[in-house]
Amino acid sequence: MTARAFNACAAAATLATLAAVGCSSAPPSVDRAEPRILRIAYDREIDVLNPFTSQNLVDISFSMIEGLITTNERNEYIPVLAAKIPSEENGLVARQSDGSVTMTWSLQRNVRWHDGVAFTSADVCFTWRFVTGANSMTYNREQYLGIKKCETPDAHTVVFTWDGAYAYYAGLFEAILPRHVFMKADGRTEMTVDEIVNYEPYNRGRRTIGTGPFKFAEWKTGEYIRVVRNDDYWRGRDVPAMDEIVWAFIPDNNTRLLALKSGRYDWGRIQPTQVSALRALPGSDVHLIDANSVMHFDLAIRTDLGKALFGDVQVRRAIFHAIDREGMAKKLMEGAVKVAEGPINPNSPYNNPNVATFPYDLAEARRLLDDAGWTLGPDGVRRKEGRRFSFTMINRAGATDRILLAQVIQARLKEVGIEVGFETLESAAWTQRWRSGQWEAMVSAWFLPADPGITGLYACKGANNMTGFCEPALDEVLERSDRALSFEARKPLLDESQAKLSEQARMLPLYQNVMPEVVSRRIVGYRGSGTNFGSFWNLWSWELVSR
Amino acid sequence: MSAYILRRLAQMAPLIVGISIVVFALIQAAPGGPEAALLSSGRFVDPSVVEAYRVKLGVDQPVPVQYLRWAMTVLTGDLGVSYATMRPVTEMIAERLPATLELTASAFLVAAILAAILGLASALRPHSWTDLLSTGGSFVGIAMPVFWLGLILQLVLGVELGWLPVSGTHTVGASTLGDHLAHLILPALVLASRYVASWSQYFRSSLIGVLESDYIRMARAQGLSESRVLFVHTLPNAMAPMISVMALGLADLASGAVITETVFAWPGIGRLFVQAMFARDYPVLMGVLLMGAVTVIAFNLVADVLYGVLDPRIRYE
Repeated sequence: MTARAFNACAAAATLATLAAVGCSSAPPSVDRAEPRILRIAYDREIDVLNPFTSQNLVDISFSMIEGLITTNERNEYIPVLAAKIPSEENGLVARQSDGSVTMTWSLQRNVRWHDGVAFTSADVCFTWRFVTGANSMTYNREQYLGIKKCETPDAHTVVFTWDGAYAYYAGLFEAILPRHVFMKADGRTEMTVDEIVNYEPYNRGRRTIGTGPFKFAEWKTGEYIRVVRNDDYWRGRDVPAMDEIVWAFIPDNNTRLLALKSGRYDWGRIQPTQVSALRALPGSDVHLIDANSVMHFDLAIRTDLGKALFGDVQVRRAIFHAIDREGMAKKLMEGAVKVAEGPINPNSPYNNPNVATFPYDLAEARRLLDDAGWTLGPDGVRRKEGRRFSFTMINRAGATDRILLAQVIQARLKEVGIEVGFETLESAAWTQRWRSGQWEAMVSAWFLPADPGITGLYACKGANNMTGFCEPALDEVLERSDRALSFEARKPLLDESQAKLSEQARMLPLYQNVMPEVVSRRIVGYRGSGTNFGSFWNLWSWELVSR
Repeated sequence: MSAYILRRLAQMAPLIVGISIVVFALIQAAPGGPEAALLSSGRFVDPSVVEAYRVKLGVDQPVPVQYLRWAMTVLTGDLGVSYATMRPVTEMIAERLPATLELTASAFLVAAILAAILGLASALRPHSWTDLLSTGGSFVGIAMPVFWLGLILQLVLGVELGWLPVSGTHTVGASTLGDHLAHLILPALVLASRYVASWSQYFRSSLIGVLESDYIRMARAQGLSESRVLFVHTLPNAMAPMISVMALGLADLASGAVITETVFAWPGIGRLFVQAMFARDYPVLMGVLLMGAVTVIAFNLVADVLYGVLDPRIRYE
C-alpha cells in the first residue's frame, strides 16, 4: 500500500460515519509496466462528440478525429489527412478563366477508420456536404460556402472548386466525418443534415469513429471521457506511445487548480492569474502558451452615448494614451504577458510592427481631451456641451483577469477626468448584450485561427464587429486581402489594414494573451499551440515516461 | 388519513402547474439565450449560424408559445430534449441522479448522526462548555459558505496532507470501493456541514423543551432511570418536530447540491443544473426544477404524515 493510500484510509477511519472505507485503494501507478494513462484535468464538460456541432470539443476531438489539416506550435497549418496543403506555388491551386479557383488535395494513403473501413476522398466530400447544409450548426459554416463543387477523381484525391479566391482555405476541414457511419438503413443513401446532427450513436460515442491515434472508449457524463490507443494507427504501429487518455471534467477553476496541485493529473489548463500558485509544483512545468488572442479594450459607437463620447478619433487616442499597458503586463499579469500593438500575433509573419502606438502618457491624453473640447468640471469629470464624460463598461462575471483590467482602466481614466462605471453580467447575458451592440466599452479577447484574417472583426459588416465602427477604405483593403492566395500578395494588404486600424484607434490592444498549461514532466513530445485548435495537435507523438 | 393523502395529492397538480409557469417565466426573464453556448468558446461564430440555432430550438417564438410547447411535451411523460446535447432530458437526469442520491444519502446520514450527538450533548448540559462550543460551532457552520469550506478542506486534506482526492467520484483505471469512498468523504462532509449546524440546534431546543415538560418531571419523580427518561420518554417526543425539518432538508439535498457538486466536480444533478444554467439549456433547467418542486412537495406530504404517526395528538381531516 502506498503512503497516500494509507493516509486516505487513516483519514477515513477517523470519520466514524464513513468508517466503512475499504483500505485497498491505490492511486494510479507511474510504472511503465502499468497501462500508460495520461490524466487530464479538463476545463470544460463537452456536449456532443460531433466536432462540427459541438461547441467545445476541440481538444478531446483531436485525440480521435483527424482533419485534413491542423496547426502546430508555430501557428502554421500543417497537413494531417492531407498529404500536402495546396498552394499556387506547388501548383495545386489553379485560377480558372471563369474566376473560379480549383484546389486539389491529395490524401494520405492506407488510412483506416477505427472500425477498419478505408478513409477515402468520398468522406471529405461528404463532410463538405454536411457542413454546408442549412442546419449543420457548424460555427464557421459560411467559410465553406465558397466551395461550389467537391469532386473525387480517385479515392485519394479531392478537388474543390471555389467560386473565387479565398485566403482562409487552408484552415478548413479540421475534422472529417466517416461517411459510412451516416448512411441510412438501406446502406446507399446518406442521412440528411438534421439526421446527422441528431445521430445519437455518433454524438454519444457508440459509433464515434475517426482516424486518430486514440479510439473512443467511455464517456461518463459529468465525469470524464476515456479514449484508448488505436493499435492500427496509420502513422505506424509504434505510435501512439500511450495506452489511454482520461479527460476528467473539472470546469471550476479553483477545483482544477487544487486537483493539479494534488498531483493526480498530468495536464491542465489554468487561468493566467493562477500561474504563480503552480510555478513551484513538483514534477510539472507551467507553459505559457502564446495564444492567438489579443486582450483588448473595445469602444463602441452604436449607442447615442457611445457616439457622443467616442465618435471623435482624437478622444479615442486620448483614452488609449491614458492606459498604462506596461503596468498591466508587468504588475497585474506578473510579467507573464507582453504588450500588444495590433490584432495579429507578433509571431505571425503577417504582423505589422510599424503601426501607430499609444504609449502611456497622461499629459498627452489630457491635451487631446482639452483640444477636443472636453474640459474638467467641478466634480473632476470632464464635460462638453453639458454632457459628462461618463460611461459604463460591461464585464463578464467570472472573467477575473478581464475584470482586473477593467478596474485598472477605470482608475487610469479617472486621472484624466473620465468616469467609468461597471456592469457585471453573467456569461449568457454578457453575450447577448455584446451581440445587441447596446454597450459602450468592454475588455475582450478572441481566439483566432492560425490564419491572420481579421475581416470578420473590423469590416463594416464583419460578423463579429459589434462596435458600430465602419470605414469603407479599410473594408476594401480587407476584402482584397481575403482574396489574396499567396503570402506576397496578402502581406502588404494586411499590413495596410493593421496600420489603418491603429490610425483610427479602433481598439486598444492590451497584451498578447497567454494560455497557461500545467504539464507533467512525465510527458514527452508536448508542443503547446496557441491557436483555436489547441495544444493536442501532435498527441500521437506524446510519450509518458517514469518520473 | 387516506382521504387526507388523496386530497393532498390532488392539490399537487395545480401547484406544480403554477410552479412550472413561474419558473419558466423566471428562466426566460434571465437575459441571454441558448446561443450563448455557441459563443462562449471565444471563437468566431457566423451570425447566420446563431440565428439558425435559435430557430431550430424554437427560442425565437414568444414565451407563452414556448411554454405551451414544453407543457404539451411534459404531459406526454417526456421532459423534452436538451438544447446542448440533443438528448432526452429524462435520460440526462436519470444518469445524474445516482451520484446525487449517493452524495445526498451520505451527507444526510453524516448530518443526522452528528446533529443527534451534538444536539444531545448540548441539551443535556445546557449553557455548559460543551453546549457553548456546539452552539458556537453550529453558528460558524451555518455562516460558512459551502464553497469556501470545500476549498479549505480540499487544500488541507487533499493538497497539503494528500489524504483525500479533491475531485470526481473515483480514480479512473484504479477504482476500488475504498477509492470511491475516499472520493465521497470530502463532498459528503461539506454538504453535511450546513445541516449538522442547523439540525443540531433544532434538536437541542426540541430536547430542552421536552426535558423541561411536566411529564418528564413526573417520570423522574417516579424514580425512572435517567436513560429510560431520555430514550423512552424524551427522544420520541423531541424527534417529532425534527421530522419535518429533516424531510425538507432531504428534499433540498435531493434536488441537487449545486455548489458542493461544482466544487468537487461531482457528476450529479446540481452540476447538471449549473451547466444548463450557463448554457441556457431551458429543457434541462425546467426538468431539474420540476423534479425539485415535485420532490419538495412530496417530502412535505411525507413529513406531515409522519408527524401524525409520531404524534398521536395530530389528527388529519
